[in-house]
Amino acid sequence: MNPAAEGTTYPAVPFVVDPSRVAAFRALFGISEGVPPTFVTAAEFAAFPQIVADRHLDLDFSRVVHGSQTYGFRRALHEGEELAVRARIESIRIKGGNGFVTIAMDLEDADGVVVCTARSQMIERAAGA
Amino acid sequence: MRGRATVSVGQELPELARVVTREDVKAYADVGGDQNPLHQDDAFARSAGFPGVIAHGMFTMGHMAAAIVAWAGEPDAVLAISAQFRAPVFVGETIVAGGRVRSIEDRPAAAVLETWVTVERNGRPEWPVKKGEARVRLA
Repeated sequence: MNPAAEGTTYPAVPFVVDPSRVAAFRALFGISEGVPPTFVTAAEFAAFPQIVADRHLDLDFSRVVHGSQTYGFRRALHEGEELAVRARIESIRIKGGNGFVTIAMDLEDADGVVVCTARSQMIERAAGA
Repeated sequence: MRGRATVSVGQELPELARVVTREDVKAYADVGGDQNPLHQDDAFARSAGFPGVIAHGMFTMGHMAAAIVAWAGEPDAVLAISAQFRAPVFVGETIVAGGRVRSIEDRPAAAVLETWVTVERNGRPEWPVKKGEARVRLA
């Protein structure tokens, strides 16, 4: 991973809060109504391909584990709405051969309001570890 | 939504337990979008140093969120949620989500929760999620 990629921003990716996908997510976790808070992960995965493909960042996903995850909401997602997912590399630290990257994503609604911010800390384990 | 008058500092959330099956993990990969073979392919998982496939951290956090939503009354009440992933979860294990009220805010009324997910392994507790947190709006 390249620490100089800290601060990289990526173009917005559209994400539709598909009601049938939300229903499947609810069923898996036994939640009876609404959009479960961690459904936001599906929006994050809409934007991840850009990050995986970023050769300047050079993150080796085969060595990545998920360190921590945070979601903050201005409001819950609405089923059926289209959001723009804007990803950025918020920080990169290298410690003991392991790389720690925090990827932040803003989910913007049709009015340009950020309804949720997601932060994922990924740990790229040292090669051969 | 849960009423402010029913909440006190130190109050515990009801524990929520579930067995994690291979089918659950596959279903989660399909609905969540994370198709990393670490969660589906035992040979790949062994090459990464695990005895077999592990659940997604986000599966475990999704279960923790279900315990929080059940306490809060509805998903829309969850203002923030976070988790630190500290231990893997193997298929066939039983994960238990729990939490307690750390503090209460007024205007607008909200509860700050500390939350966790535990699993018993070889007779000892492990912590797939430690230092989880949530902020929940109260009526």
